[in-house]
Amino acid sequence: MTSRIDTITLDNLLPRVFAQEEMPSSQIWCTDCRIERGGRYLIEAASGGGKSSLASFIIGSRRDYTGTIYFNETDIRTISIDGWQDIRRSRIAYLPQELGLFPELSAIDNIRLKADVGGFDDMAMVERWISMLGLENRRDYPAGRLSIGQQQRVALIRSLCQPYDFILLDEPVSHLDEANNLIAARIVEEDAQRKGAAIITFSVGNPLLIENATKLKL
Amino acid sequence: MRLTDKLLRKNISGGRIAGFALSNFIGLLIVAGAVTFYVDSRSIWTDTESFVRSDVMVINKKVTSANTLGGNEAGRFTAEEISELEGQPWVRRTGAFMASDFRVYASVSHGGRGMETAMFFESVPDGFVDGGGSDWHYGEGDTTVPLIISKDYLTLYNFGFAGSAGLPQLSEQLISGIPLQLYLRSEDGERNMRLTGRIVGFSNRINTVLVPESFMRYANSRLGTGSELAPSRLIVDVSSPGDVAIGEFLDAHRWEVAGDKTGSSAAFLLKTVTGTVIAIGAVITLLSLFVLMLSVSLLMEKNRNTIHRLLMLGTPLRQVGAPYRQIIIAGCGAAFVAAMAALAALRGYYLPAIEGLGGGGHGLLWGAVTGLALTAVVVVVNVAAVGKKVRNCLTFNS
Repeated sequence: MTSRIDTITLDNLLPRVFAQEEMPSSQIWCTDCRIERGGRYLIEAASGGGKSSLASFIIGSRRDYTGTIYFNETDIRTISIDGWQDIRRSRIAYLPQELGLFPELSAIDNIRLKADVGGFDDMAMVERWISMLGLENRRDYPAGRLSIGQQQRVALIRSLCQPYDFILLDEPVSHLDEANNLIAARIVEEDAQRKGAAIITFSVGNPLLIENATKLKL
Repeated sequence: MRLTDKLLRKNISGGRIAGFALSNFIGLLIVAGAVTFYVDSRSIWTDTESFVRSDVMVINKKVTSANTLGGNEAGRFTAEEISELEGQPWVRRTGAFMASDFRVYASVSHGGRGMETAMFFESVPDGFVDGGGSDWHYGEGDTTVPLIISKDYLTLYNFGFAGSAGLPQLSEQLISGIPLQLYLRSEDGERNMRLTGRIVGFSNRINTVLVPESFMRYANSRLGTGSELAPSRLIVDVSSPGDVAIGEFLDAHRWEVAGDKTGSSAAFLLKTVTGTVIAIGAVITLLSLFVLMLSVSLLMEKNRNTIHRLLMLGTPLRQVGAPYRQIIIAGCGAAFVAAMAALAALRGYYLPAIEGLGGGGHGLLWGAVTGLALTAVVVVVNVAAVGKKVRNCLTFNS
């Protein structure tokens, strides 16, 4: 298993697509930015600011950037395919903006599948999260037939079902009301604290309401 | 079934997989069938002659009036002719017949009746005559010498002489058990040897009375006059029996092949036909390989989104590829088993006829080995393609 990741360093990072453009000032692009395990970060961006691109770069699904991303001292471009799968299973949890649920599987099966892959077996905790987020009546519905807000909550629970040092949440509550936002924030905070992990949440306007987050402007 | 497998098996087309299995079955059956038939029937032409391989020919010059008038010299091969022959692409090596330089008398007594005849010996270099097993050996001082005689001699005796002279017909087994009393005498009559001859085999390809080369050297040195004559017959190991170039070369020189020629042509024909059939089967198998590759590739392309999502959850690559590998292995396995079953049934159909002709053997084993090897190729290539496709679904936009 890949060893623990304590820092993610973004060194002079810039999406290639921005290379020719005049950039407004940013606390991330073209700077030296360190994200520490255990911290809480809220990355705010205007839409089109490269928020989802940044998440994709860190999770290793895209490489169209200049500069370097380091996990500890390792340039992530040098990580093998199997190394990445290990990191995705055990080091970095990721909730993509498009959620990535399997529409033909029920809500609970989506979560179970991830728990299987991530080696997570605390299903009592999962049931607790389901009831906290008001999904009891929807747990056996095919995910494709849930509302976007319900899907977001299922995907959020799913993203927690693995060990992680960092959790990337890309627009996790864009379709939730404030009450559910607060519940989601508390669940994520508790779980990250238990795991000693960092929360990195991205938002264009409706951020996850975590406390004491370091705000970084993209 | 695991949830991942359930997701990844979505969009499987039974028809396409069945189409692959059918074409792979046909291809395997043709290739394995051709190999099986070849191995089974090869012995019809080759096993009848265990002493001299089918790719060995004996050649001599055609006898014309010039030979008769010009004495023995006209029928002998000169050193130039031998080197020209050795220069032909279809010649592996040549050897000269060595003739006995003394007189030979053989007598046999069987059931109180005796026969005596003048005869002759010849030998060819060691290595041209394999078989005869350990019997084909003469050590200096041995009182028994092994002989290989032309099958034609026995035929002449059995169907020509024995009938008209009121003598019993002799089988190969029987005659092999009868010792021949041999009396060898030098030309001047001053030296002689008495030995026992034992016939260890009959040949269709060598029209002579053959003794081991070691015996010939020994006897010639004791009884011979010491004169060395150029050979009148050559034994030739050819690389492609039945090749038309051989016939053309021999005709041009007015030389001829002694003994049975049909075996080598039939073996050549069998090889050619088998080769063609195997090639056709191999092409079909190759096409089926691509059908499977395309089917699996299409299936994975349809499930690309699912595969990508599973990979983004950290699912190990081998787990994502597993259902597709299982489809490949099941399809190939089914085609292989069906082809082998069909092959065994077909073989049961033709085997009695082939065995009647003196064939049979381990055809099925070789057919199965060939089929297994082809199946392994199809499986390995396709499994590798699945691995590549899974990695491809990770899509780095670099």
